[in-house]
Amino acid sequence: MLLDPGFLIVQTLNGLQLAALLFLLSVGLSVVFGLMNFINLAHGTLFMAGAYLALSAVRAFDSFWLALLLAPLGVAVLGGLLYLVLLRHLERADPMRQVLATFGLIFVGVEVVDLVWGSLPHTIAVPPVLAGSSLILGQVYPTYRLFIIALGVLLFALLYAALERTRLGAVVRAGVDDRDMVAALGINIGSVFLLVFCLGCLLAGLAGAVAAPVFSIFPGMDLSVLILALIVVVLGGPGSLKGVAAGSLIIGVVDTYGQVVVPELARLTVYGLMAAILLYKPAGLIPVRGAR
Amino acid sequence: MRSRDRWQLPAAALLAAAAAAVWWRADLFTMELLAEVAILAIFTMSLQLLVGVTGMVSLGHAGFLAAGAYTTAAATLFWGWPPAAALVLSVAVAALLAAAAGLFVIRLSGVFFIMITLAVGQMFHAFFFRAQRFGGDNGLAGTPRIDLAALGLDSGAPGTFAAFALICAALVYLLLLLVTRSPFGMMLGAIHQNESRLASLGCPVRRYKLAAFTAAGAVAGVAGALTAQHTGFISPDLAFWTFSGEALIIVILGGSGSLAGAAAGAAVFVLLRDLLSSGSFWSGLSLPPELASHWQLFMGMLFIAVVLAARDGLYGRLAWLIEALHTRRRARR
Repeated sequence: MLLDPGFLIVQTLNGLQLAALLFLLSVGLSVVFGLMNFINLAHGTLFMAGAYLALSAVRAFDSFWLALLLAPLGVAVLGGLLYLVLLRHLERADPMRQVLATFGLIFVGVEVVDLVWGSLPHTIAVPPVLAGSSLILGQVYPTYRLFIIALGVLLFALLYAALERTRLGAVVRAGVDDRDMVAALGINIGSVFLLVFCLGCLLAGLAGAVAAPVFSIFPGMDLSVLILALIVVVLGGPGSLKGVAAGSLIIGVVDTYGQVVVPELARLTVYGLMAAILLYKPAGLIPVRGAR
Repeated sequence: MRSRDRWQLPAAALLAAAAAAVWWRADLFTMELLAEVAILAIFTMSLQLLVGVTGMVSLGHAGFLAAGAYTTAAATLFWGWPPAAALVLSVAVAALLAAAAGLFVIRLSGVFFIMITLAVGQMFHAFFFRAQRFGGDNGLAGTPRIDLAALGLDSGAPGTFAAFALICAALVYLLLLLVTRSPFGMMLGAIHQNESRLASLGCPVRRYKLAAFTAAGAVAGVAGALTAQHTGFISPDLAFWTFSGEALIIVILGGSGSLAGAAAGAAVFVLLRDLLSSGSFWSGLSLPPELASHWQLFMGMLFIAVVLAARDGLYGRLAWLIEALHTRRRARR
């Protein structure tokens, strides 16, 4: 089975598709972690919100593309409100309080979704343009999944350029490196953080909207995804964009092959990997330069 | 901190008296709740030893509870062990696993400690979820309760089992109180206050942390064994990280560092959940009874409120109140 090239190609593509979704989801989590040493457990909830907002938008406007635009914006606004109302007060708190307050948000999020959209699982139809299958490397593969991979690559390129070439990107990189020094240079790191936080929420919402036609949408869909995103962040190194990309690729491929080749181990390998990285490379595989 | 410590024993005695009073008048359903409170209290007190006393915030403590529960289930169902012997084995297995995991996790601190304990707890969940021998994601049913026939009692009766669980909780409380007040416990408290100073004084900090992690895991194993006995049914959900998170919230609710507070927090949690998830409570407030199925919404909001507001938990507030009344009376005199 493992030596069959068709099997390898399809599973690798599946892995890349998961990696692209994980990348979108984890970028915000990673930058927030790197910039503020803040773990936002409600990040998965924002992913779920993206999926549900996309569902409503598709129902209202009957257009997947409009949903793909509106849902992430909605999640960004939601994230901004969340930050201003609640998370801002926790910035200076110890990690336990941050983790637990955002842990409470997970419960609230699941129930709000249940109240508004009901507890039954939903799906969104794949847009007609991407509904069929394509022939790639001699294998028939769903076009929509190829679209997800392409979107992931595109956003990595965009974010990389933004981080390396723009002023905001430079401030963010400097902030991850040494936050107090950036503040001392007269830059309002608080407002930069709000902006970055909203952008991260936007990307998490985008991940949710993009995942909606592939995953089933239900209250609680955020829990397993959240843990995978945390693993990606830890693996790549908090605050490192390249690290998030590398972490997503590793987890996407390892998890996909793991589920097929050694199903009895399943996620055990992924959690073990996370623990090992934390122990031996606490700054992640691609640490931010100068990170302590 | 010192002045508050005076209220530790009176608070525990009050709690025990309240539990006994409830038990005296309880119906069958309340007995089940009492047993649940007692078992959860054992679990949260074990977590308190880590979080409140030593300052190690674990988000994977439920893994050791699950290990204890599965050990009891396996020993009784597969090998035909008596539940009492299985309980001892559960403690040993949980302690062993905690020691093995502890060797690694104690090297980290702060947010990284939270993350690695999360990973460890999830490894337990993933293992039990896939282990077909233990029923996989369906779990295992039919674990017997402890045999109290020698005392002329039937542990199958809710009242008897509730009393048994409460007595276990009281014993665990006394044991942990002894531990925290021993020189060993004093060292753990000192590590919480200033780890680097202790290390520079030549204290083998890691050895103390490992001992605390192992002890907490062993006590969590007791809670696991009792959980398996109480419900007779166990599933991988016992190891899921959200259960560890709930236990942490309860510890905060109770107040930092106080064992009695952790136990009181467990009681408040179980009672609130029971209250919020009953339709008659909501219709009593002339609100739609359907809200009962969304009890987690209110629990989540409560969690956030607890984390934001109560810096030192219920116990801390209460002790502060008593303390304040006390000084005012003294001042009047």
